[in-house]
Amino acid sequence: MTSVPSKLYSDDVSLVVVLLDTNPFFWTASSSLPFSQFLSHVMAFVNSILLLNQLNQVVVIASGYNTCDYIYDSSSDASQLGLENGKMPSLYSNLLQKLEDFMIKDEKLGKEQSQRAIKSSLLSGSMSMALCYIQRVFRSGPFHPQPRILCLQGSPDGPEQYVAVMNAIFSAQRSMVPIDSCYVGAHNSAFLQQASYITGGVYVKPQHLDGLFQYLTTVFATDLHSRSFIQLPRPAGVDFRASCFCHKTTIDMGYICSVCLSIFCNHHKKCSTCGSVFGQAQSDTSSASDLKRKAPET
Amino acid sequence: MPQVRIIAKNFMDMVASLPAMKLDSLYQNAYICEAILRSLPPLAKKYVVQILFFDGPVSGKLLEQWVLDDGVTKHRVAIDRLIQLRIFIEVTDKKRESSYKLNQTFQANLQKHLTNGGVLPRETMAATVKLPSSEDLDTYALEQWECFLLLLISSGQAEKPTSLSSSMMKIFQRGLLSQRDRDAPRLTEGGFQFLLMDTNAQLWYIIREYISNSEERGTDPADLISFLLELSFHVTGEAYNINTLTEIQRNTIKDLAELGLVKLQQGRKESWFIPTKLATNLSVSLTDSSSRKQGYVVVETNFRLYAYSTSKLHCEILRLFSKIEYQLPNLIVGAITKESLYSAFENGITSDQIISFLQQNAHPRVAERLPSVPENVTDQIRLWEADLNRVEITPAHLYDEFPSKDTFEAACDYAREWNGLLWEDSKKMRVVVKAEIHMNMREFLRGQK
Repeated sequence: MTSVPSKLYSDDVSLVVVLLDTNPFFWTASSSLPFSQFLSHVMAFVNSILLLNQLNQVVVIASGYNTCDYIYDSSSDASQLGLENGKMPSLYSNLLQKLEDFMIKDEKLGKEQSQRAIKSSLLSGSMSMALCYIQRVFRSGPFHPQPRILCLQGSPDGPEQYVAVMNAIFSAQRSMVPIDSCYVGAHNSAFLQQASYITGGVYVKPQHLDGLFQYLTTVFATDLHSRSFIQLPRPAGVDFRASCFCHKTTIDMGYICSVCLSIFCNHHKKCSTCGSVFGQAQSDTSSASDLKRKAPET
Repeated sequence: MPQVRIIAKNFMDMVASLPAMKLDSLYQNAYICEAILRSLPPLAKKYVVQILFFDGPVSGKLLEQWVLDDGVTKHRVAIDRLIQLRIFIEVTDKKRESSYKLNQTFQANLQKHLTNGGVLPRETMAATVKLPSSEDLDTYALEQWECFLLLLISSGQAEKPTSLSSSMMKIFQRGLLSQRDRDAPRLTEGGFQFLLMDTNAQLWYIIREYISNSEERGTDPADLISFLLELSFHVTGEAYNINTLTEIQRNTIKDLAELGLVKLQQGRKESWFIPTKLATNLSVSLTDSSSRKQGYVVVETNFRLYAYSTSKLHCEILRLFSKIEYQLPNLIVGAITKESLYSAFENGITSDQIISFLQQNAHPRVAERLPSVPENVTDQIRLWEADLNRVEITPAHLYDEFPSKDTFEAACDYAREWNGLLWEDSKKMRVVVKAEIHMNMREFLRGQK
C-alpha cells in the first residue's frame, strides 16, 4: 500500500503545450505543406489529445517572428464548448480568431521595428511562456496533469536566440518537463534536437508531410506513463554545436571563458559576460592548440 | 485506492457483457464511443487512435511491434479488452494470423469527432433561466448524496423523505445490510467497506445495482447505460430542457436527482435539469480515481480524532471504528481505542481500509504534512489488527519414539507430501502432523513396520 495518495491523478493525464510556428517567412516559402493543411493536422491532433482523457489539457502558443502569444487553452474553453454561429465548433472558431489577431499583431510589430532580416521564429519566447504556464500549473496544488511541451517548428534556428533557448531547455530539464519536437522544415534543427535530447523528449522530422497527423498521434500523443513501454523513435544523431556570444554564429570551435563558460568565436581581452580579464594568448598565430574545443553539453 | 477501479471496471464489464447487437447499437451514439474510449487502458486507447484512419485490418504482429518487450502483457490486456468491447473485430486471414479491424460505427464516430471537434449532446437553455452558483450546486449534490446514504444505512435517521420507491431502496440495500428476524438491519462486511469508499466508488456501486436491476422495471439496460454516459458529457451548472429527453430518460432522471446527480428545477412553462459535478465526474472516474473533495479529519498522536463536519453521515462513518466522545456544532471529537477498533475488525473492516480512509479524508491543514496520519497511530492500528490473529490453532498429532532414523525421515517425507507437516525435530526424532492426515499417517507407519 502506498503510504499517502500524493498523486490522485493517474499517470496518463497529460497537459500538452503546443508551440505553433507561425513564421510567415517560412510558410510562404514552404511548398510541400501549406499552412492551412498543417493547421488542420494540428487541430485534429489537439482533438485527439482531448479525446483520450477528460482531464487532458491542451494549450497552444503561437510563435511568430516578432512576438508570441497564447492562442488556445482547453481549460478555459470548456464552458463555451458547443456550436457557435451555426456550424463551427468553438475550438476552431476561437483558435482561428485568436490566430488571426495574433498574425496581424505580429506583422504590425514587424513593420514598426527596423528592417532586420529575421527569418527565424521566436522559439525562445514561446518556450519560456510554455514553461511559465507549466510552473503555474505545478504551483496550483497537488492535483495537476503531467505536463509536456511539443514544438511544431518549421523555420530554421535563430543563432541569436541560442542563450535564451538553452536556458529554457535547462529549466525544462530541471522541472522534468520533456520537450518533444516535430520539425517540418528542410534541414534538421540543432536547437530542437538538443532540447529533446536533454529533456528526454522525442525529436522527429517527418519524411512524408501529408501524413503529419499520423506522425503526431503515433508519436506525440503518447502520454508520459505509456512511454515506458512503447517503442518511440530514437535520436539518430544530435547536433551539439553552440552559437558564440559575440556574433551569434554557430561554431564548431571557439574560445570559452574559464570562469562563466561563455563562448566566443575569436579572442577577447575581457569576457563580455562576467568581466574576467583573460591572459594573453601564447602566440598570436592562432594555431590549433590555442583553440579550446567546446565540449558538448551534457 | 483500488476500489474505484474495480467497481468502475466492473461497470465496463457490464457494458462488455451486453449482447453484440446491443453493443453495436450503443456505438451509434458518439458520446458512448468517446466515454468507452476513455475508459480503456492507455495502450488500448493508443491503438485505437493510431489506427483510426486505417481502412483495412491491421495485423496483430504489427501492433505488438509498437510496444517494448516488457510491455507484452499490457499488449495482451489491451487487445483482449478491445475485442471484448467489440471495438476490435478479429479477422483471421489465410495464413492463420490474426489481424484486427476497428468496429465501423465506432471508427466513423470517432473520426468525425477528431475532424469536427467535440460537440455537446444537447443545447443549453436560453439565458433567461436563473442558474444556481457552482458552490450551491456542489453543496446540493453533496447533501442529496449524503441524505441518500444515510437513508440507505439507517432508514430512520434521514430528515427528508425520498421519492425512490422502497423496493428500489431494498435493492440498493441488498448486499450492504442484513436483517435477522425482527432485529434492526445490520450493516454487513460489504456495507462497512462501502461506507469507507470514496464518493465516486459508492456512486458506481449504486449505479451498477440500479442498471442491473433495470430489466425488472421494464427498462433496457443499454438505454440506461447510454443515457448515463451521455449525461457525463453535459456541462456542470448549465440548464437543459427536460423536453429534449425521451420518456425513459425522464423517468430515470427523477431517480438520478434523488442521488444528487442532477438538480431538477421548474419554471412557469418548462422544467429543466442541471447536471452536478457528480454526473460529469462519472466518466472521469472510469479511468481515474481522483476525488478532490476536501478532507475533514485530524488525527493526533494521542489517538484523538477531530472531524470538522456537521454531517450526520460522517459521524456515523467515524463511529464505525472510533469512540465518538462529543459533538459540537461543527466538530466531532472521538478517540481511536482498542475496543472501537476491535469491533470494527469484527465487522470485517481491515486496518488498511481505516488508515486509507483517514489519509484520504485528512483535513487540508494536516494533508500537507507527511504522513498525514501520525505514524504511531497507523502502526498501532495495524498492530491491533495483527493481535487478533496472533495465535492460530491447528488440531495436530505428535509422533515420537521412531525406531530408526530412516523411518523418521520417511514419515516426515510422507507428511510433507500430504502437506500436513507442521513441525519436526530430527535430533529427538519427533514430528507433529495435522489431524486430518493422522489416519493416513497411521496406515503409512504400519506399512513401514
